[in-house]
Amino acid sequence: MSILKKAKKAYNSIEIPQELDYVVNKAIHKNNLHQKSKLKIWIKGATATLATTFALFVILLNTNETFAKAMEDVPVIGSIAEVFTVREYKEENDTDLIEAKIPAIKNTGNEELEDRINYEISSKINEVLEEAKQRAEEYKEAVLATGGTMEDYIPTQINIDYKITYQDDNIISFVITKSESAASAYQEQYFYNIDIENGKELNLRDVLGEDYKEIVDEEVKKQIKERMEENKDNSYFTEGEGGFSGIEDEYQDFYINENKKVTVVFQKYEIAPGYMGIQNFEIQNNILV
Amino acid sequence: MAYVAQEVLIEYIKENQEKLYRIAYTYTKNQEAALDVVQEAITKSLENIHKLRNEEYVKTWFYRILINEAIKESKNNKSFIEFELAENEIHHNNHENELVENLDIYENIQKLNKKLKTVILLRFFENLKIEEIAYITKTNTNTVKSRLYKGIEEIKKNMERRSL
Repeated sequence: MSILKKAKKAYNSIEIPQELDYVVNKAIHKNNLHQKSKLKIWIKGATATLATTFALFVILLNTNETFAKAMEDVPVIGSIAEVFTVREYKEENDTDLIEAKIPAIKNTGNEELEDRINYEISSKINEVLEEAKQRAEEYKEAVLATGGTMEDYIPTQINIDYKITYQDDNIISFVITKSESAASAYQEQYFYNIDIENGKELNLRDVLGEDYKEIVDEEVKKQIKERMEENKDNSYFTEGEGGFSGIEDEYQDFYINENKKVTVVFQKYEIAPGYMGIQNFEIQNNILV
Repeated sequence: MAYVAQEVLIEYIKENQEKLYRIAYTYTKNQEAALDVVQEAITKSLENIHKLRNEEYVKTWFYRILINEAIKESKNNKSFIEFELAENEIHHNNHENELVENLDIYENIQKLNKKLKTVILLRFFENLKIEEIAYITKTNTNTVKSRLYKGIEEIKKNMERRSL
């Protein structure tokens, strides 16, 4: 073997530090945030978060390998795109009990898409966990500050899990749910509808066409009325109380259900009192099918 | 246009991050400093991406920034490097195997002056073309060739001196 080949071998075996992935992503997003970039559309919802959330905790979550490496470790089953658990995370201490299952997509045949979505998911979850932990910490401090002892404090349970709602060769739709049990119950959902063929995230305009707003608004209003007639206990905020008056734009939360129907979602408290929980509306007039 | 170039750049960086780290490390010989270099190079490149006319040159253009940053950093870090190297050498003398020999040669390359090191690194480790190296180092192909030749000679000389 020539000298240079030997040297190259050594060169290629230079150990890559775990932090590299983090350093690179941070540098990219720090410099990319204030610029109007196409990426912003992809990273809808995550934009505001990227700048602020990379605390120590993020590194904890990504302890062992880079995201990409972890994905390599999962055996490939067939060539069909799929959502899988890329990492499970557990933490138990005085303040909180965390159980998180972090999904990622693979085998889409579009690595750039996978990287983007998977990175968005992992940073979103990091952010969500960080916030939940902070709330737990604040709650604990409040208990202690008001004369309580550690016995009075029940650690906050934080769960993150995901569910695939629809999948075929072209579309994957899944939802990540975070729930938090503390003084009051918190539940939030994050939706991912991915058009594999075109390598993009779908919005309502993509799946319902130009008239998406009229279609959704009409359907939601109709179903709210039906639900209130069906059961007297069901109630929704009136428009004056900040209730439903029409969706804002095509980025309204939705998923695609097992019947391949677009289902629009409103978070708890968004259009109805808390006891009504998260509200789903299956849209009947569906051009997706 | 800037849009496209920026996306190409980000994609390039993400796909090649390990490579970029290794290049940086070859100059800094220190993990933390190499990470700093990579971070600095990404920041600089994104800030200046609008100056790049043709996104075909993203790779070579980024190499240039990275290597400039690496050289800058290695100047700042001189005393630390020498200490590190000394420690490595003691360690290696105790273990005679292939890996150590490879590392030895690699370290010889690390010790070359920055001009010779850059051409050897880009040509043999990164498999770049002479023309690309000329662009990165802001020289011409003849200079690159003569530096390559000189670099190899120097490594050989150092290796012989050792085995004596």
